[in-house]
Amino acid sequence: VAEAVGFFTDTTVCIGCKACQVACHQWNDLPAGHAPNNRHSLPVLSGDSYDNTVSLSDVNWRHVKFIEQFSPDPDRSQAAWLMMSDVCKHCVHAPCLEVCPTGAIMRTEFDTVYIQEPACNGCRDCVSACPFGVIHMSERSHVAQKCTFCYDRLKVGLPPACAQACPTQSIKFGPLTQLKKDAQKRVAQLHKQGETRAHLYGADDTVLGGLNAFYLLMDKPETYGLPSNPKVPSQMVPRSIFWSIFTGLLVTLGVLFRFRQRTQPMPQPAEPAPAPPAREGEVKP
Amino acid sequence: MNLFVADPEWGFWIVAYFFLGGIAAGAYFVAILIEWFGSEEDVVLAHIAYWIAFPLVLVCTLCLILDLDRPERFWHMMFKSEVLKEAFAEGFPFSARGWKLAVQSPAFKYWSPMSAGSWVLAIFGVCSFASLLTAVWPNRWPGRWLRTRWPYRVLQGIGCAAGFFIASYTGALLSATNQPMWSDTTWLAPLFLASAASTSLATISFIAWWRNIGTPEARARLAGAEPLALGLEVVVLGAFMASLGENLEPVLLTVRGNIMIFGTLTVGVLLPLLLHVRVGERRWWGAPVAALCVLLGGLLLRYGVVRTPSELLARGPSVLVRFAPEESRRRGQPGADIRNHGKSVQPRTKFPGMP
Repeated sequence: VAEAVGFFTDTTVCIGCKACQVACHQWNDLPAGHAPNNRHSLPVLSGDSYDNTVSLSDVNWRHVKFIEQFSPDPDRSQAAWLMMSDVCKHCVHAPCLEVCPTGAIMRTEFDTVYIQEPACNGCRDCVSACPFGVIHMSERSHVAQKCTFCYDRLKVGLPPACAQACPTQSIKFGPLTQLKKDAQKRVAQLHKQGETRAHLYGADDTVLGGLNAFYLLMDKPETYGLPSNPKVPSQMVPRSIFWSIFTGLLVTLGVLFRFRQRTQPMPQPAEPAPAPPAREGEVKP
Repeated sequence: MNLFVADPEWGFWIVAYFFLGGIAAGAYFVAILIEWFGSEEDVVLAHIAYWIAFPLVLVCTLCLILDLDRPERFWHMMFKSEVLKEAFAEGFPFSARGWKLAVQSPAFKYWSPMSAGSWVLAIFGVCSFASLLTAVWPNRWPGRWLRTRWPYRVLQGIGCAAGFFIASYTGALLSATNQPMWSDTTWLAPLFLASAASTSLATISFIAWWRNIGTPEARARLAGAEPLALGLEVVVLGAFMASLGENLEPVLLTVRGNIMIFGTLTVGVLLPLLLHVRVGERRWWGAPVAALCVLLGGLLLRYGVVRTPSELLARGPSVLVRFAPEESRRRGQPGADIRNHGKSVQPRTKFPGMP
């Protein structure tokens, strides 16, 4: 078994160049998106900062987010950009892998999560389970699509295309244990410089048992479009079962209450009254 | 409430499956109880359920297949495609190696509601088909043969348990996601179960009235069970709303959320209850109209539950902010930028250097 690998994305050094997006498109031969409701037209400008791919999708397995922040004063005198290269998190307790009924989603020898396209039947349960909105259905092949962690490159000892293309090393690739040590050092360095808001997201096991693609953030996760407390789908099932059985018992009792004929004791036929004594002169039959 | 997820775009086919599957499963569950514990004259009501359960299961299966993005791969739900293909390549069913691979091909994940549901739906199909035979040919082969054999009783018991599962697992399937509203409650499964009970009783009641099946006493007993099921549905709907907690407010800001709660409550529960109490058997139309209202309410419930998250996602995080920009504009207030933590910002009317 190969060593578990991952991404450590340091958002403080991301410059929003989108080289990772381009490299991902090139290596995986992903087409450009299209305008809403028109497959034959190029995407329209989103009007949302420098972001025109808007979100992760079936053809955008990497997406650079541009988050503009302004001070609350009337002139918005202070402005800041937060930039983050988003990707599949390759969760340790991956919700998509857990719910997939066909076994199309599997864990590789590199501890990454991979969709086997020939096995996927397009039920979209993984789309509903992913707490990060990573998985989308392909308009071309009609199967679930997401980052493969460049499995084909890993197999031959190459780093994923996005990590290799990143000019600022915002996206670092390597063995998970080493990445986590590097991340802790970077957070300590930022804290020393006075950036006390810097924190890691997904480096420990609090988020879905840990994320193999984890982040250094400068604001709360929701600001970056990341949920603070995503759920493992199966954690909801036991309580659902308990309350269902309780409700099922009530339904059973209600039906039995109305149709309980056989459970009641059958009424006993009344005993015949004793014959009156024969009067004088009367002949008994 | 997690609004950073993608929409699975489950629509018409899934709503239809949840609705019809609930009726089929609930009807079979109730029918077994009636046949086992009811009187002889009630058994004809159970036979109505047997008549509808299997055809509805077939329709449900069709709905599920049509909803897939790759319908021709529907069998991947139950078998590992790559293993089965390899088994055929190895000569299955004419080679030992092929058989060895084929027996490893079933794909069953008990912790995945969709995987478990696929298998239980297949089991329910077998049981409901056997019961359909007993209802169609009660005095001829194979119906009579089946009825007189003890394995049929076992099959009925398995079908009853499978019916209970089918009626409720769809709710658990929705809860076992990260979608807004679905993943914020564990009461969807019991809610679907209670609704399956009421809609299946309503269906049996309506068919009994329409085709004039069963004695008046048997139909009266059936009519008496309906308010009990509706009462249970009200209680479970209340528990579902309470379990949403602070997430109930954004749900009520959506059209589909209102259909889910108020549509179900008024059309599907209160109106039929009123008809049962005030009209009852005094008018010929009392029972059938009440049954149709219950069915419409069940459909509204499934539609609302399945489609509300997509409306929440379309509205985005603004749905969680009490004075969201669109709400502010509607009230004539200055717009609020959510990214500035909801504090209102006065828009600049004149930029420097502009005339």
